Amino acid sequence: MATRTRPRSTRLLVVALVSASLVIITLDYRGGSTGPLAAAGRSAKAGMAPLQEAVTDVTRPIGNFLSGLANLPTLAEENRRLTEEVATARTDSERFAFLQAQLQQLEDLLGLREQLDPEAVPAVVVASGVSNFDWTITINKGTDHGIALEMPVVAGVAGSPRLVGKVIEVTKLSAEVELLIDRDAAVAAVIEGVDEAGLVVGRGDEEPVLLGIDPETDLVGDENVFTQGYEVSGQPGVYPPGILIGQVARVSPASNSLQTDVAIRPAVDFSTLDYVLVLATRSRDAGADEEPAA
Amino acid sequence: MVRRVLAIVAVIVTALLLQSTVFGQLRLLGVRPELLFLVTILVAFIEGPSEGAIVGFVSGLAQDMLLNEPKGILALTLTLLGYTIGMLRQFIVSPSPLLPTILVGAGTMGGVAFYVSVSFLLGNFNQPATTAVRVAVLAGAYNAVLTPLLFPLLRRLFEGSRSRKVVRF
Repeated sequence: MATRTRPRSTRLLVVALVSASLVIITLDYRGGSTGPLAAAGRSAKAGMAPLQEAVTDVTRPIGNFLSGLANLPTLAEENRRLTEEVATARTDSERFAFLQAQLQQLEDLLGLREQLDPEAVPAVVVASGVSNFDWTITINKGTDHGIALEMPVVAGVAGSPRLVGKVIEVTKLSAEVELLIDRDAAVAAVIEGVDEAGLVVGRGDEEPVLLGIDPETDLVGDENVFTQGYEVSGQPGVYPPGILIGQVARVSPASNSLQTDVAIRPAVDFSTLDYVLVLATRSRDAGADEEPAA
Repeated sequence: MVRRVLAIVAVIVTALLLQSTVFGQLRLLGVRPELLFLVTILVAFIEGPSEGAIVGFVSGLAQDMLLNEPKGILALTLTLLGYTIGMLRQFIVSPSPLLPTILVGAGTMGGVAFYVSVSFLLGNFNQPATTAVRVAVLAGAYNAVLTPLLFPLLRRLFEGSRSRKVVRF
């Protein structure tokens, strides 16, 4: 008798679990980012972050060692290239210091300091997203450290930042960052020197693309691409202006003749991100559940 | 029973931790393994369709909580995957040691394809089809490579936590 009822009880179990899954999908769609399931998701992420940080602390040195071994043949060439770049950068930074002093005076006059010179909160990358279809990272700072939704995240130093992405979810002790290369990411950008503006969109494993460029624009390659600060109805955009996104890699014609697509080589190596800075450009008292302003 | 539940929870949490930390760096052509697919398929292989479906549901829901996608899609996917593999196992009697590896590889590819299809139907998938196919194939291959390492561990864990039968006269 136990054997005869077993297949039937298994089928009933599967039907119940499938029904439960469908109910969960429906509830999550209806509840959105403020529903109970989204709150449960945030709690789960908050609980996992300390564990992820502990695992990363142990495995990061091992991973860096193995990565160094694998890249040994190319390290000498990269070292030479970086030495040349440092020499150039030293020259540029002296001029930059002079321009920075002038800019500071102007910002003080116009009251623009908070937007253009935001406070930077350092954070450690403790995990990457669990899905093969999302490009996100988790950092070890949250609302307790002044992090809020939609804050831009950069790598490098505050004086010469390189764009990583923006905060899309935040708990008390951790935050999730959508990377520039994620397919849902979009950043208003401008090409240095030609003053052409467009929209950089992520394409996952492929290079991001700068859309909306005039086909007549003369591009030779390696031009720097920076974020373009903007305002809509008096509200500032997510990203402050002047953050380096990357360099022009190649130009290809779009599907229409009115614009051309420009592939961008990101300034950040997203596969080796260990430390980032969160730019506190927004001074809202955001808790974990607050929605960003429209 | 309690020991078995704790063992399953520990395996799921460990798989999620490894997938988001260690395997975030160790990728196969840019793709990481789908460890919860691997766990679900191996549990279904060892324990049968009921346990496969239950572990699939719990694993899927656990990973759904860490995603920004709608919750429940992965729970649905892994429930059906666990049940299907468990049912197939009852009809496949080959003693070949490659059987778990083949089931894991094929099951992972089919599971990822199902997940992508459901996400697409719900309007939640904006990647090209080539990306989905590439991820399914590479994740399946990566899972298949990891199977000989994890199958003995999981089998030992589940057989060790099985309650002993008591014969009463």
